[in-house]
Amino acid sequence: MERSRPPKRHLTVSDDPKIGSRSSPRPRGAPTDNFGQSHGAGHLPFRRLPSPALMAPPPPPPPPGVRIVFLSLLLLFLLTSTAADSGAASAVAPGQEEFTEELLLRPLPDRKALAHFHFRSSAPPADSVGRHHHLFPKAISQLVKKYHISELELSFTQGRWNYEQWGGFDPMSTSNAKPPGVELWAVFDLPLPEIDATWKNLTHTLSGMFCASINFLESSTAFSAPRWGFKLSEGNLRYGALPREAVCTENLTPWLKLLPCRDKAGIASLMYRPSIYKGYYHSQKLKLRSSQSLGIILDQTLTVVLQPNTVSGKQLHSTHGQLQPNWSMRHLFNRKLSGKCLVSKSSKIFIEVDKGIADKVNKTGSGLSWNNEFFELSNNPDRLIKGLNKLEVQSASLYEYDVSKYSEEQPFDVGITWKLPLIWSCAPSPFHASRFLMGSGNERGSIALSFMSTNLHKQIFGSTNDCSIKAVIFQVVPWYVKVYYHSLEIFIDGNRKTVSEVVDKIHVTPSEDKLLPGTLEMLLKFPCNMQSATLTLDFDKGFLHIDEYPPDANQGFDIPSALVSFPEFNSARSYPEIDALLGSPLLENFQEDSIVKSYTEALLVPLTTPDFSMPYNVITFTCTVLALYFGSLLNALRRRISEEERELKKTATRHGLIRLWLAKLRGQKVDPMESGSASESAGSKKLLFKVVFVAVAAVLFHYFSNNS
Amino acid sequence: MASGGRSPGPSGPPRALNILPALLLPVLLASFFFLSAAAAAETTATMHNNNWAVLVCTSRFWFNYRHMANTLSLYRTVKRLGIPDERIILMLADDMACNPRNSYPAQVFNNENHQLNLYGDNVEVDYRGYEVTVENFLRVLVGRHESAVPRSKRLLSDEGSHILLYMTGHGGDEFLKFQDSEELQSHDLADAVKQMKEKHRFKELLIMVDTCQAATLFSQLQSPGVLAIGSSMKGENSYSHHLDSDIGVSVVDRFTYYTLAFFEKLNMYSNASLNSLFNSYNPSMLLSTAYYRKNLYERPLNEVPVTNFFGSVMKTLHTDSAYTGFLAAHDIETPMSIRDNLHDHSMLKNGATTGRSDVEKEAQLTAHGWTEVLLEQLDRKNTDVVVVYGLAAMGILLALSTWLSM
Repeated sequence: MERSRPPKRHLTVSDDPKIGSRSSPRPRGAPTDNFGQSHGAGHLPFRRLPSPALMAPPPPPPPPGVRIVFLSLLLLFLLTSTAADSGAASAVAPGQEEFTEELLLRPLPDRKALAHFHFRSSAPPADSVGRHHHLFPKAISQLVKKYHISELELSFTQGRWNYEQWGGFDPMSTSNAKPPGVELWAVFDLPLPEIDATWKNLTHTLSGMFCASINFLESSTAFSAPRWGFKLSEGNLRYGALPREAVCTENLTPWLKLLPCRDKAGIASLMYRPSIYKGYYHSQKLKLRSSQSLGIILDQTLTVVLQPNTVSGKQLHSTHGQLQPNWSMRHLFNRKLSGKCLVSKSSKIFIEVDKGIADKVNKTGSGLSWNNEFFELSNNPDRLIKGLNKLEVQSASLYEYDVSKYSEEQPFDVGITWKLPLIWSCAPSPFHASRFLMGSGNERGSIALSFMSTNLHKQIFGSTNDCSIKAVIFQVVPWYVKVYYHSLEIFIDGNRKTVSEVVDKIHVTPSEDKLLPGTLEMLLKFPCNMQSATLTLDFDKGFLHIDEYPPDANQGFDIPSALVSFPEFNSARSYPEIDALLGSPLLENFQEDSIVKSYTEALLVPLTTPDFSMPYNVITFTCTVLALYFGSLLNALRRRISEEERELKKTATRHGLIRLWLAKLRGQKVDPMESGSASESAGSKKLLFKVVFVAVAAVLFHYFSNNS
Repeated sequence: MASGGRSPGPSGPPRALNILPALLLPVLLASFFFLSAAAAAETTATMHNNNWAVLVCTSRFWFNYRHMANTLSLYRTVKRLGIPDERIILMLADDMACNPRNSYPAQVFNNENHQLNLYGDNVEVDYRGYEVTVENFLRVLVGRHESAVPRSKRLLSDEGSHILLYMTGHGGDEFLKFQDSEELQSHDLADAVKQMKEKHRFKELLIMVDTCQAATLFSQLQSPGVLAIGSSMKGENSYSHHLDSDIGVSVVDRFTYYTLAFFEKLNMYSNASLNSLFNSYNPSMLLSTAYYRKNLYERPLNEVPVTNFFGSVMKTLHTDSAYTGFLAAHDIETPMSIRDNLHDHSMLKNGATTGRSDVEKEAQLTAHGWTEVLLEQLDRKNTDVVVVYGLAAMGILLALSTWLSM
């Protein structure tokens, strides 16, 4: 239970009125110059990142029983990262910025369709600071330089990936299924004490760049520094999640602005907003990797699950004995593709058919051509790529199309037409993990994590019963949900087990009120023949200050999703038919080693909410009581009755005088008023007479003079 | 001034007697020029040279859809009329476009005909959701941010800025509710505006508020250069315009609806004045009385085009060379010989103009004298005599004119 958080730096609020008074055009959300503590990106040379193989100074020694597991994890990580580095390095030709765009489409078993956009921009390593960028977004390279980021991932997600139906054991689900809301993690290439302050500035910059409230992650109660549960790190990793953050077009627009063609040309022009946001699941991700040897590699992906816009709506809800809906790109996006983005190095579209479909097609004897017994693709693909999984068993197959052959006059639209009803299922993860709340009332409750076996191990390990499956749980809980970690209880197939029987390794950072969230990292070892397991943790609900409640506090508070990963299972694919230099970053990403992961649901905890009008009531009542008390007290103390009587007398005499005077005035006034009016009326009559006289004289004169 | 003393002046040392006036002349000229240059610099500094807009929707929850639609309509209008996105601070308190209750995902409409999607492909929201608080709003206005806050979230206006501040939400007597949980009071707004004025953060500010009892929000404003429009007087409600039965809620407020109706006719080059905007509000259509507070504003409203606030259209000033306004202050240092000639000319001209104006003034004065005499006569008791003489003179004049016309 060691606490491993470097001391925090406080940013000072700048009260300088001059800050606001300079204005010059600048890219949106570019890092501000008036920066709490400057890192001097302009003066320091870009720090050299040691290669992953070198960078393992021994982490804090774990307990002896755990060491072997830990070492194996470390080894796995090293393998992963070196493989990733070599793969990525091969893609970057030295000294040139590159951009590729790809789209993968896949029918899903529950009559939906998955679309996965993948854009990669890469910049070669630059020695100087002031580099001129052609394709690579300048804002991102500035960000990387300023905050010394070696890795960063930011995802905006709406909806939840359905691990049962859409698969849990393929590269799509392990690296592109994300928890709802915003998730941000970053690895910094900085000394440990500087990281927290840099993280805060990074969240502000990203919030300006992507129009989201990512800056709420700056508070130390919102982010954590996991050691091994999320990703192996030496304390330079920060992780934060905002489960309730809304995701909409204003987040997608700045993301698209990072692409050289934006959404005006190429594959990104398919992103018709209303059809994308109508989907069941929507996840927009930005992943950055940077090092001295690689330069910067920026992967932007957008994963959407859509309901094909079929003509007959009757098919929607029954799945048995009916054809899958036929769809094409035009149905999914309301758009056709008119050519590629001209500056892109490659522009490809893949249609992936799952292993389930491929098996059935192969069983009938006809090869997996684009026009077989079960389905037909509307266009003849350029090539067919067969993928193998880690155990060298054939998995999904891909039909590849090259977009560069198409143009405005000849738009591209590919679709799938089903000939026979087909039911298949995607490969699941070893356990379905889900999380829920127990208990009632506003005082306490408990969090339960349940695992249901999918019997995947039988396919992989054979039907041996004395094996075990490892699972790593990583969970961050805000401080107002005070989890008692000693109350951890584990039930396997309904029988209670002691903690030491199942838990191999555990690392807890307990929460601190208004300062730190609670972080739990736990390595479990489940027996292979287990069908279900449940973990429970009790918690107390805390109280917040009245100012800390959000405006809609009655809705409840979200606890971010927990991450469950299975380090022994790897979802990587390999494509033996084509050479290592694929020219396709999408497939490269599929080839990378990635352990099987799944996110649980976000939880909604109702907390005690005060009556928010209470302060006003209290203030009103208190003020009334105080006013009454002091008013009457003053009255009693300061009143002088004799003086008051004298005053009364005085006013009485004054009244008499005034009355007398008024009467006198009135008596005098009557006469002059009358005389004045009389003289006035007489004067006016005289005047009228004179006017009439002169007028008549004039008229007469005029008449006579005219006559004569 | 010091420069005048330093320079030897046009006359050389041999003419010893003339030294004193020769020294005095440049000093005088320099001081004159310095003053005029300073005045010129001042006028150029306070010229209107940029436009900003702060658009705030303060209401949370789905049933307040119309407030977001109001704000987005204004956002679209000011963008259409030329204010760029980086000069618009848009604050939206909730997410309506991608709200699960919205049957038109990623779209917001302000009319039931659904012709216009306000939430198009290019909306930049600067503050959203829980970030829309009174604190953040006041910070945006007065510009006191934490140092890490990015530029896109700051109002970087200066003393030449025209700012449009549009707010909509639920309000009451001297307050406006934010997120249904806190209030912005009229005093807060007035203090913030005062601070902005002192920090030279605006030249002119137009505050437009669409809430119930909007007029009360302006009662504490004191700073010059502020013009305020509210949708309703004290004791009046502002009503929504119509309900969209597909979306299920009201989609726009009356005041904003008629404001937009006015602006839809305009383009960037229109010359419609603020007065015509104010006159376009019809109380029987609004079901409330629009209120304008213009006693803090100096310019006559019929001469101010609406694009001064709702667009980014500015007067273009032609200068013979670049940056003369800013270089004028340094010109004092240049040799005096040329300057002197110029100055003589200008002095002569000045003399001529003053002479002419004197004559005019005299004429005015004499005219003034006659009326004064007349009034004096009328004031006295012998009004009758004056009237009789006047009538007689009229008669004679009439007779004379008739005779002449024959």
